[in-house]
Amino acid sequence: MTAGSGGRTGHGELAPTTRRRRRRLTSRAVAPYLFILPNMVVFGLFTIWPALNSFNISLYDSGNGRRFNWVGTDNYREILSDPEFWGVARHTAVFVVGFVVLVTVAATALALLLNAQVRGRGLFRAAYFLPVLISPVVVGLIWNWALERQNGLVNTVLGAMGLGAPGWLLNPNLAMGVTIFVGLWTHLGFYAMILLAGLQGIDPSLYDAARIDGAGAWQRVRTITLPLLRPTTLVVVVLATIAGFQAFDFIYTLTGGGPVGATTLIVQYIYLKAFESPIRYGLASAAGVILFLTVFGVTLLNYAIGRRREAI
Amino acid sequence: MVRPPARLLGAVLAGSLAVALGACAPGSGGEDKAAAPTTVNWSGFRGKTLTYVYFTDGPDEQATRERIAAFEQETGAKVNLQLVPFSDLEKTLQARVSGSSVPEVARVQDWHPYADALVDFTRYFGKDYPNEFIPGEAKASDDGQGHMYAVPSDLTMNGPLINVDAFNRAGVPVPAAGSTWTWDQMVADARKVAEANHMESALAIDKSGHRVSTVLSQFGTTMIGQNGQEALDSGKAARALGALTDLMKSGVMSKDFWLESGTRYKGANDMFLAQAVPVYISGNWQVAQFAKNARFTWAAVPNPCQERCGGFPGGKYMVAFKNSANPDLAAAFVQWMNRTENQRALDRQSGWMPTRKDLTATGIDYPQRAADMKVFLDDVAKTPEDTYAAEASPAFTGSASFLVAEIAKVTAGQEDVNTAVSNVKQQVAKLVRETTR
Repeated sequence: MTAGSGGRTGHGELAPTTRRRRRRLTSRAVAPYLFILPNMVVFGLFTIWPALNSFNISLYDSGNGRRFNWVGTDNYREILSDPEFWGVARHTAVFVVGFVVLVTVAATALALLLNAQVRGRGLFRAAYFLPVLISPVVVGLIWNWALERQNGLVNTVLGAMGLGAPGWLLNPNLAMGVTIFVGLWTHLGFYAMILLAGLQGIDPSLYDAARIDGAGAWQRVRTITLPLLRPTTLVVVVLATIAGFQAFDFIYTLTGGGPVGATTLIVQYIYLKAFESPIRYGLASAAGVILFLTVFGVTLLNYAIGRRREAI
Repeated sequence: MVRPPARLLGAVLAGSLAVALGACAPGSGGEDKAAAPTTVNWSGFRGKTLTYVYFTDGPDEQATRERIAAFEQETGAKVNLQLVPFSDLEKTLQARVSGSSVPEVARVQDWHPYADALVDFTRYFGKDYPNEFIPGEAKASDDGQGHMYAVPSDLTMNGPLINVDAFNRAGVPVPAAGSTWTWDQMVADARKVAEANHMESALAIDKSGHRVSTVLSQFGTTMIGQNGQEALDSGKAARALGALTDLMKSGVMSKDFWLESGTRYKGANDMFLAQAVPVYISGNWQVAQFAKNARFTWAAVPNPCQERCGGFPGGKYMVAFKNSANPDLAAAFVQWMNRTENQRALDRQSGWMPTRKDLTATGIDYPQRAADMKVFLDDVAKTPEDTYAAEASPAFTGSASFLVAEIAKVTAGQEDVNTAVSNVKQQVAKLVRETTR
């Protein structure tokens, strides 16, 4: 290579044009990072750093949340041998499975209805989306009052119809069912909107072709809509799974985790270990790390299954 | 080829995090300052400021503010009163004590969780200072080795309160002060009154292991004995807890409330104030609140007797933190607030019961609801000694919480009373071992 406009000089130095190009390239390479830097600083300070520090704290223990002693993995051992933790894990699994299955099925059905309907579609969309806008704390309180055994709205209506007054929030099985239902009521509109967007992205000519070929409504849904909606459904399943594992606020005001801990899920367990006497930040952090790993694992599994189906 | 700086950035970030995380054990630092002096220079507080972290039961806030104003005038110091909800007290205090904003003084229900951060008042005011307080409370403030880490600021006594209007409407006589009634009589009367007034339940008790300890004591046992060890008598405890859980199962007491679900009431006091229940087992701290908030005639009545009479004691303490900016001022303030004249003023206005021996001897001339306060004071005399020891144990708070959870399990039909008693005994023994280690 001769020393020229784009090469090296005889002294092994870069020619001015090469330097300019390299500077341009460097600027081009650095620019995206500079754009995301402010966000990354905030994200790093308020999400990544606390998360990493939480792992650090999980290796210590304290009887008062003040003086910490290094205990290595003892907190993890204690949690994994704690029957209370396994009870909470079982409740969380029941809630997540129930919530994800119901919300996915119901949101898909609702999205199909909203997609088909023409008159008043905007109104129905707004109506179903409204609970998403209500604070989860308020959602919990409203349903707590509505489902109160002696004077609640639901039992008053049932009583007037001679159907008795079930202890919705007193019977452990009923309380878990109610908790899943309230979670569904709160999130249905949000997931239905995502699926509706997915439905509207499907090419209408596919339906026309199917109709010409004599396919019925159910056949069109089964062979066109659902397969083409699969990527969006996967997003809904992943988001709902994460939301299910993180559920806390509306449950705390709805049931307080009761009756007798029947609706205490993992996040409330972490909260109680961290902030109720005796304060044990290390143990709570260890439970937080376990929750993170579980959610991460389940999300990866969801994606893996989704991808495999897409490939098939 | 130009390499993106991501790897370099990543490496730098990872390295920094590893160094930072490795270097910072949580909660490290903040070690003790120099040992406290043994004398208080009262004239040296002018211009200094102390922070007093306080939770209020209601009318005591104004009384406390008035005493603070008098202290400020007398010493020239400034007191910054910071109110914290009781539910947030421990985590707030622990966080502040571990950080750089250690308050000088706090009002607490249990001082043991902060024991290593507290001022020993005997270093300031001498070994005889605890003798100014009634023995049970002095013992509860002591670490067992002659160090007084808390000053008992008010004594509480558990006991029932009744809706007099509802009793009158039902034609059921109100138990007179000084009289005795049994648990069976109390329950039978409560049922009659609730039925006649179409109330939701007949009896309510705070969802608190401390309040349930009243029932345990009346049935003849305590969770922790005078030697500080687990002391629950299985048979007596089973009878006491069986009585309570049977009342909940039969609807005499609100099952919904005890199972933490399905009720609009956040506390049993709400049920009493809403006239949903005619008899409410709580304590003297409700007197000032009900005097202000109840829209019906009510009264404190003697505790029911079973094997034993009397209630169950409790109390609040003032503590001073040795790592605060002004520990000397903190110790002086606590001592000043609990001098005879100041405690009397606080007790009169707040409906508190005194912890000082001299005030217990002379009595307090309460300006309102004096008859109700007398009922509680009379029950102090009938309350067995072992209840003071139980309440003073560092294992009591944890044991009380566990007791509540076990009662809920029995009420929900998840276990029987004997299993619950056995579980409570094991947990109390474990907590005693852990806290006396």
